[in-house]
Amino acid sequence: MTAFEYRDDAPYPIRDDIGHEHRAFWQRLAGPGSWWSGKERVAIAKASRGALDCRLCIARKAALSPNAVQGTHDHDGELPEVVVDAAHRIVTDQGRITRSYVEANAASGLSKPAYVELVGIVVAAFSIDEFHRALGLRLEPLPAPQPGDITRYQPAMLSEDIGYVPTVPPDGAVGNEADLWPPMRTANVVRALSLVPEALRDWRAIASAQYLSFAGMQNFVKDEARSLTRMQMELIAGRVSAVNECFY
Amino acid sequence: MLRVSAKATSSEVDLQAINGDADSAAIGIEFGPQLMRFAEAVAMRSRDLPERRVELLEAAGPTALVDAAGVAANFQRMVRIADAIGIPVDDMQAELGQSVRAELGIDRFPSARNSIG
Repeated sequence: MTAFEYRDDAPYPIRDDIGHEHRAFWQRLAGPGSWWSGKERVAIAKASRGALDCRLCIARKAALSPNAVQGTHDHDGELPEVVVDAAHRIVTDQGRITRSYVEANAASGLSKPAYVELVGIVVAAFSIDEFHRALGLRLEPLPAPQPGDITRYQPAMLSEDIGYVPTVPPDGAVGNEADLWPPMRTANVVRALSLVPEALRDWRAIASAQYLSFAGMQNFVKDEARSLTRMQMELIAGRVSAVNECFY
Repeated sequence: MLRVSAKATSSEVDLQAINGDADSAAIGIEFGPQLMRFAEAVAMRSRDLPERRVELLEAAGPTALVDAAGVAANFQRMVRIADAIGIPVDDMQAELGQSVRAELGIDRFPSARNSIG
């Protein structure tokens, strides 16, 4: 059976572009990335699914500081603890991730480029799962990992002016990165994953179906392909962000 | 962005909808309370999500429900990208952003440290 065949099992008419982008991400998830193999990428997505029921994560979330609660995460041992910890924190306690945490992980073997790719995998898989949960649909089974070599690709132009990791600067979307954003027209949230350009491309592709394309974001009234006005969409976006205590 | 989209359509909105006030969500936004409660139930993983889903479905219809699920799922992702990478607000000095942050009182959020130290 093909993944994300919403016509077969969804009680609601789900737009074809949503199924298309979810299928496309699942295919990319299964293959090798820039810093993780296909097997590792699928394992990271699996870890993101386990975060919500992890006993350590539940205890940490309730604690004044996440560092006040020590222990090990609930997982199958397929990934190192430092990797599972990052995947779980991004799902359950992202607001308390700090620069020192990312730096300490880098010293423990989770390099910043690998961390950025991990963030991209976790949030993409989590977002697709959330779409299913929101509509009461079963979660899509994870794809079978595909063989292949990682690329270790990094953009030529990088700066350290924002965030905990290097990012492509606003004028750095050139050469292999020319498609990332129009010249000098970007935002910090777009630049966030740019250390691993494929992660940003995944971000953009899924957002174009679940929310709006970059071009569509310039329309503050109503996108013709959406049933909601922009105000209705931004009410949802704002409430989700507020519940997550996201300042950005 | 809610304020920007309201300005684009010369609409009046009450930003306290963002903080979960259903009466505020009803001002200027069709199906505002139902959309707000559905988004909240998704983000909070509330047990009443099935009821909120039905409430929105009956009020706005299936295509609106699917689009709302997409937006909610997308922003479950966006907030995690922003906080996991620690990015600051693009322009802390922008007047509109300052007034919105003051109105919503979001300086208390832990991730505010990425923008205001």
